[in-house]
Amino acid sequence: MIASLAFKSLRNRRFTAALTILSIALAVFLLLGVERIRHESRESFAATVSGTDLLVGARSSPVHLLLSAVFHIGNATNNLRWDSYKAIASRPEVAWTIPLSLGDSHRGYRVLGTTADYYEHLRYGRDRRLQMAQGRLPEGEHDAVIGADVADTLHYRPGDSIVVAHCAGDVSFSLHEQHPFKVIGVLARTGTPVDRTVHVSLQGLDVMHEDAAADSESDPLLAAMQADSGSGAEPRAITAFLVGLKSRSAVLGMQRAVNEYEREPLTAVMPGVALQEVWEITGAVEKTLFAVSTLVVVVGLGGMLVALLTSLSERRREMAVLRSVGARPSQIFGLILGEAVFLTLLGIVFGVMVLYAGLITGQPWLESRLGLFIVVGWPTAYEVALMGLVALAGGLIGLVPAWRIYRYSLADGMSIRI
Amino acid sequence: MNCGSAWARDGHREKRKEEREKVIEQLRRTLSTHPSPLMPSPLVQLSNVRFSWPGAVSPTIDIASLAVSTGERVFLRGPSGSGKSTLLSLLAGVLAPQSGTVTVLGTDIGALGGAARDRFRADHIGFIFQMFNLIPYLSVVENVCLPCGFSAGRRARALQSGGTVEKEAVRLLSHLDMAGEGLLRRPVTELSVGQQQRVAAARALIGAPQLLIADEPTSSLDADRRNAFLELLFKECASAGITLVFVSHDASLEPQFDRAIFLADISRPSPDAPHRAAA
Repeated sequence: MIASLAFKSLRNRRFTAALTILSIALAVFLLLGVERIRHESRESFAATVSGTDLLVGARSSPVHLLLSAVFHIGNATNNLRWDSYKAIASRPEVAWTIPLSLGDSHRGYRVLGTTADYYEHLRYGRDRRLQMAQGRLPEGEHDAVIGADVADTLHYRPGDSIVVAHCAGDVSFSLHEQHPFKVIGVLARTGTPVDRTVHVSLQGLDVMHEDAAADSESDPLLAAMQADSGSGAEPRAITAFLVGLKSRSAVLGMQRAVNEYEREPLTAVMPGVALQEVWEITGAVEKTLFAVSTLVVVVGLGGMLVALLTSLSERRREMAVLRSVGARPSQIFGLILGEAVFLTLLGIVFGVMVLYAGLITGQPWLESRLGLFIVVGWPTAYEVALMGLVALAGGLIGLVPAWRIYRYSLADGMSIRI
Repeated sequence: MNCGSAWARDGHREKRKEEREKVIEQLRRTLSTHPSPLMPSPLVQLSNVRFSWPGAVSPTIDIASLAVSTGERVFLRGPSGSGKSTLLSLLAGVLAPQSGTVTVLGTDIGALGGAARDRFRADHIGFIFQMFNLIPYLSVVENVCLPCGFSAGRRARALQSGGTVEKEAVRLLSHLDMAGEGLLRRPVTELSVGQQQRVAAARALIGAPQLLIADEPTSSLDADRRNAFLELLFKECASAGITLVFVSHDASLEPQFDRAIFLADISRPSPDAPHRAAA
């Protein structure tokens, strides 16, 4: 009875009710959206480095090394020598290593020089291996394997020829045109920076750079010497390398050994620890965003309080009529509280709907522009708890007008006061 | 052991004797207030009722005795501010007196709890206000059906009489000349005041409550409509055997009722009302 009265009463004031629901829905959307992006970006970053025990590069700050070598944010300051890599890779605790050589780009996408170990040992997410979507693994030094985003955006297929530019950047005037690579494979989508990377062999990169050096300097002797020393042989330097250990318990000792390596200043980073440092930096911004969205929720619920309170004075006589036909003051109380709860719940439902619509439509944009891979899944327990808190807050706020009308209906009795 | 149980039995006998005496005493008291059991028992009985609003120096209502018989049409008159609405709230059990008893249908409603009084009102009392009787967001029929949502008894009686609650509502509305198709579908806010009052009357009558309380229901109607409204109201009350307590300050309506009560005559003079102090 009371529920149907509350519903009909709201239907009668549908414009105000719709505005109230809209403001709560937007507030909930913002609150959950901020939380979702925070959570998903952390998940996405953590998934990228999930299988790696240590990241080793030239001496620099751990955060900088992690961001530049793994996430391709910024550039590495220094390279490390090949013999240092070899020395560490041959230690007994080491299960596998993946050398990484960065610094070139192709139409805005990073070009990564690496070895067959990359395809063999790299893990992301929950222990997942890289899979080929098309083509095959690289063999020769002119072979290139591209990530899913590169293939989609630039419409490359196995057999296409690509030219690499020196320096990372969208536009570069220094193109290695004499040394084109041939796309022979496309990797399946991973939701990590791998999707936005062009992978070539270390040898291929070296040969390309030596050709370029020879070409620009027009010194046949130097070119011949470099070609002699480089082509087919080992590269002289790499940007960083990933290390997988036989036993995770060795990670601290290994990290110290690398940091104390005598022949070259190196830095070994535990990716998870470095990510925590990143989150500490971004934490303040996240807290601010969360505070702002919480305030928006408060404003939205405040709007509902105002709408309900202003409706009360004109509804006092309605309450007297209801009392005259036998409604108890507690039912009058429930009528107003029910309206508040109904408005809040509907606001939450619409907010979640807007959030999911936004996530589904915004997913490609977030991925291509921000490199943020949002998984559109069920709400997490934390998000459900947030929604529960909003519902609870809505109910508590509804107590204010409900209590007022309860007092009115006790005091007025059935006399109609306008 | 034996001794103990005999004692207990004695105590029990003693208690039952006390109870018997209590019942006899109660019967004696009832008989004294009802001079003859053959006389129709009063539907409403007020004795020594006092009620003061919080903060008021003197009681708004101070009535030694007032009785309304079953089926009677009583006209209750008094100047504004004389406590008419307060008296009606006491009769309807919205307010409870600070002292004395308000008995309706043999139930001392002042002794009931708040929720029980609300239930009692829903079951036995129909109410018509001076104006703004209708819930604006409900249709005409929904407005009339409202009491059946709060009282199972009135719902049952409406079902018995009309088949469904809605049919009974339409039947009552048609008796009050309100059943035109256009009228039933129109939003209640677009009805004229006279039409609104007739819808309110149908709502007060649905499910045949024993007592109908009308608080100046005709004060916003012109003379012709006032008489037509009263006529319809009387007819419906008579056919359903409903007792009517009708409040108005319009003395011209008085002759149409069985009995007229001037509130100032039954409510004791209060010291801070100057015109009474002079008298």
